[in-house]
Order: sequence, then C-alpha cells, then structure tokens
Amino acid sequence: MNSKRLLNQRNLLMLAALILAALVPLAFRSDQYAMILMTTVLIYAVLATAWNIIGGMAGQLDLAMGAYLGLGAFTAGTLLIRWSITPWIGMFLGGLVSMLFAMLIGFPLFGFKIKELWYALTSSALVTVMQVIFLMWNGVGGPTEVYLPTRISPLYSLRFNTYMPYYYILLVLLVVVIIFNNRIRYSKLGYSLLALGEDEDAVEVLGVNSQASKLKALMIYAFVCGIVGGLYACIYGYLHPSFFSTNMSTEIAILGIVGGLGITYGPLLAAVLLVSFREYLRASLGGGMEGLYLAVYAVILILIALFQPRGLAPLVNSGYRKLQTFFGELRHGKPADVESH
Amino acid sequence: MENQPMLKVTNLTKKFGNLVAVNNASMEVYPGEIVGLIGPNGAGKTTLFNAITGLYKPENGKVVFKGVNITGFLPHKICKLGMSRTFQVTRAFLHMTVEDTVRVGAYNRRNEKNVLAKVDEIIELCELGDIRTRVCGDLGLAQLRKVELARALATEPEMLLLDEAGAGLNATELSAFMTLLQSLNKDYHITFCVVEHVMQMVMGICQRIVVLDSGELIASGTPSEISHNQRVIEAYLGKRAVNYVN
Ligand SMILES: Nc1ncnc2c1ncn2[C@@H]1O[C@H](COP(=O)(O)OP(=O)(O)OP(=O)(O)O)[C@@H](O)[C@H]1O
Ligand SMILES: [Mg+2]
Repeated sequence: MNSKRLLNQRNLLMLAALILAALVPLAFRSDQYAMILMTTVLIYAVLATAWNIIGGMAGQLDLAMGAYLGLGAFTAGTLLIRWSITPWIGMFLGGLVSMLFAMLIGFPLFGFKIKELWYALTSSALVTVMQVIFLMWNGVGGPTEVYLPTRISPLYSLRFNTYMPYYYILLVLLVVVIIFNNRIRYSKLGYSLLALGEDEDAVEVLGVNSQASKLKALMIYAFVCGIVGGLYACIYGYLHPSFFSTNMSTEIAILGIVGGLGITYGPLLAAVLLVSFREYLRASLGGGMEGLYLAVYAVILILIALFQPRGLAPLVNSGYRKLQTFFGELRHGKPADVESH
Repeated sequence: MENQPMLKVTNLTKKFGNLVAVNNASMEVYPGEIVGLIGPNGAGKTTLFNAITGLYKPENGKVVFKGVNITGFLPHKICKLGMSRTFQVTRAFLHMTVEDTVRVGAYNRRNEKNVLAKVDEIIELCELGDIRTRVCGDLGLAQLRKVELARALATEPEMLLLDEAGAGLNATELSAFMTLLQSLNKDYHITFCVVEHVMQMVMGICQRIVVLDSGELIASGTPSEISHNQRVIEAYLGKRAVNYVN
C-alpha cells in the first residue's frame, strides 16, 4: 500500500515533468537552435527508452538501432514520395516493416543463443550491411538524397517548417513508450527478460522460452525505432542511406547503459543530460576545435562507467529517497518507507 | 509403488569430446518417490541432470517423462510438462529481489491475475517472508539455496531434480530443509530426485538410492542395501554412509 502511494507520488512527479516539457518550447519558440536541440534530445530519449527493453531488460547489447530507424524512414518516406501516403500512416507501416525485419534477424540469433560481444558485433554489422544495400538500391534513391514532397499540406505530409510540431509528436511518443515500457517491466515478459539477462539456463528450467521472450523484446524495440524513423525522415525532409548510422546506434546503447540497465527513466535521463551536453559542447567548442567535443564526451562516459557503473538512475533514485526520508521525517517524525526501484 | 515410472532414463550417454561423462545409464523414478543419486566427484551426476532437463543434448539414449519422450526437448518445454530443478552452483538472479525471482517461476502456470497468490504461497511455504524484498545478490548461500528451491516450486512441478541442495547448510538449516522436502513430497505430492553428498540427508529422506561412478550406474537399492554394497563402498569409500547407518 505504501508503495502504491509512492508510485502515485512518482507519477505526480512525472506529470509535472511532462507539463514542464510541454511548456518549454513556448518559451523558446523563436530560438531555432534551442528547438533543434530539444527535438534531438527527444529523438534520442524515445530511442534510448525503447532500447531499454532489449538492452536493459533482456541484456542483449543491441547496436542495430540504425537498421530499424533507417528501414522505418525509407518505408514512410518512399510511401509518401511514390504513392502520396501520409506519414501518419507511413510511420506505423515503417514500424511494422522494422518489426518484421527484427523478427527475421532475431529468430536465428536468439535460437543460437548469440550473446554479449557476438551479439553486439552482429547487430552493429547489420547497420552497415543495410547501409550498403540501400546505397546500391537505386529504386529508393541509392546514394543520392531523395527529398520528400512539400506540395501537399504540411499536416498531411508531416512536413512543417518549424520544429515545434515534431517536438510535440515526439513528446507524445515518448510518453507512450514510457508507459508501455513500465507495463512490460511489471509483466511476465519484463520479469522473464530481467531474469534472462542474468542467467539464461536458470530461466529456461523455470518454463520461460528465452528465444521467444527476446524476440518479443527485439520486435517491440524495432517497432518503436521504425516509427521514429518515419518521423526522422519528415524532420530532415529527405531520405539517405546515412540514416543507417552505426554512430547513432552505438550512442543509443551508451545512453541506455549510462542511464541504468533495466530502469525505465534511466535512458531518458541520460538522453536529456548527455545529448544536450554533447550539443552544447559541439556548439561551444565547434569551429577550430571540431571533434574535441567527442573527446570530452568520451571522458565523461568513462567517468560514469568507472564511478557509477549501475548508471545514473540509481544516483537520482537515492537522492530522491533521501529527500523523501527528509520530508517524511519533517512530517511524521520518522523516516518514510521506500521501495527499491 | 505404482507400476508406471514418472521418469524413465534409458541407455543415456553424454560425452564431452573424448570424455564419456555419462555412459549408457538407465534409471527410473516412480511417482511419489524421493530418489537419491549419489556418486564420487566427477561421476556424472550433474551431467545426467543436465541431459534430463534439456540443458544438454545426449549423444545416445532416451528420456521419458510422464510417458512423453522428452529427449532433445528445450528446458522450458520440459518445465511446462512438470519438471524443474535447482543447480549445484547456485544460479541466482543477483539483481532481482526474492519475490521477483519466485514470480518468474510462478508465471509457468499462472497469469497476471493470479500469479501473486502463488508467489505469496511459495514465500510462506519456504519461509522467505523476512527477505522477500531483499536483492538476491545480498543473500547468503543457505538463503540462496532456499530461493532456488522456491522459484522451482513456484512452477508447480510434479517432479523436482535437486542438485546438491543441501551443500553448505549447517545442521539446523539442513534438518529444516529435510523436513520441508518431506512435507513437499507428502503434502504436495512432488516426486524428487536429489543429488547429494550430505549422507545424513540421503540416508534420512531417500526411499531409494542410485549410485553413479565414472558415468556408469553401479548400484540401486534402499539406503541400507546401498551402504552395505561392496561395489559402492569400493567406488565411493563412503565411510560416512556406512557409519551413519550402523
Ligand atoms: N561442460 C563440460 N565440458 C567438459 N567436461 C565436462 C563438462 N561438464 C562436466 N564435465 C566433466 O564430466 C564429468 C562429470 O561431471 P559432473 O559435473 O557431471 O560430475 P558430478 O557427478 O556432478 O560431480 P560433483 O560431485 O563434483 O558435482 C567430469 O569429469 C567433468 O569434468
Ligand atoms: Mg555435480
């Protein structure tokens, strides 16, 4: 009962954060740079939160984000270019295509129990393979950029000339993904995945089909990446095989790990902090110091890995608990009961 | 004793390269029994368990459980049929709490609506109430062994294979553990096959004992038959066993 009250308190906190997130763009409306930054942060936040399902819960170090994002982008984009199908539908079809693709890839990988480094390498290679395929596939543009049409209404073709609408669409998507993530975490799939990440044989003898569980996780994650891909194409306004980016894929995994494995809000937190920090570094060190921001970024990541190996979220959690104990003592004269995570 | 064996292993062979870990072993476990599987270190007991529960694919032989040929089945399928196990070296979910660990097992036969009832039942049965919200990584060996038993019990098995579940327990813990096993056997009608080095436990609760040596089955019988069997004594140098019975 106590934990339920706490959960509500936590939900209230999330609601406050959400309202804040919804209001912030109004203040920065005219600041194009701030809008780009916030939209970028949201893209990473959605992707990293989705990554948490496969990477955090199932413990599969997936680096194939770009493959799913690219597929979603090309599906939604091509549907709009060729058949004038609105990206509102296209992005979900893109999600479906990515999901089916993930099923084809995941079935043999999980069947052969490919894990850890081997899974990371395979999934990373997948992004490059997809990029090469799309570079050679002239039917969808090959190596040249293909621009999305703007002649139809902005709302229909999802082609706005400000970032504001994208920001809000992504915010809604983020909320949905977080809610979904939490649902999964406290369901049969979530418990099975968490246990799987620790010891696969031990979970199998408890009646859990590890292959099917991991496949479900991968497909859900790929579906979200595909949807984001559709939006991504609209935001950038063109299609290009560079969307199959190994860098971005790796970065998503890093955010997931730094945020804290298996913790829903961890990757979100990491995305907000690290991506804005990265962009800030890029902007302030840019020019002659091109590339230096990457070094600073890397040092920060190493520091986190060294001193906070379970990620940022537990740090915030314990701070939150201390605050709660403090206020609990103020109110009742005794420490409040707290739940683990 | 019922006439249909619950578990029937026939001519099972498992090799690791040139090493024959289990050699042409055949054994049966009947419903309601507690069968002890003993043998010196490296005899192949764990390997036999792994081959029965689907973690290893045997080179040769057949495993039949409740009349179903489960040879080559995946472990989760075998668990669905009603057989689960514990591990010799505890394989806890170190970052998960005790209740969440038990919950993973409970989902085997339960859905979201009634899973919690099973978790509560098992936690009470195994007397884990005090530590139910503790993370497994913080627990001691005796507690971990109990948690492993609990999560296997939560799958609602008809048969449990315990691999040295008594190892590392002190005298008090051991006798509590034996009482629990006997009550599970009597009241919950769970059939057991236990690998055990702790002779006090083997002799105390097993109705029948099977002896494995260098991958081969060398004897089978009641505890007192086994402890007087010349071949077993030779293979095992089981002084403690003999002393205990005499
Ligand atoms: N995965 C493996 N790969 C290679 N050899 C193995 C493997 N597992 C077991 N063995 C070998 O097979 C033989 C039987 O081992 P097993 O673990 O089944 O014995 P055990 O009877 O359980 O022994 P203990 O009482 O020490 O637990 C041993 O010689 C062991 O070294
Ligand atoms: Mg063993």
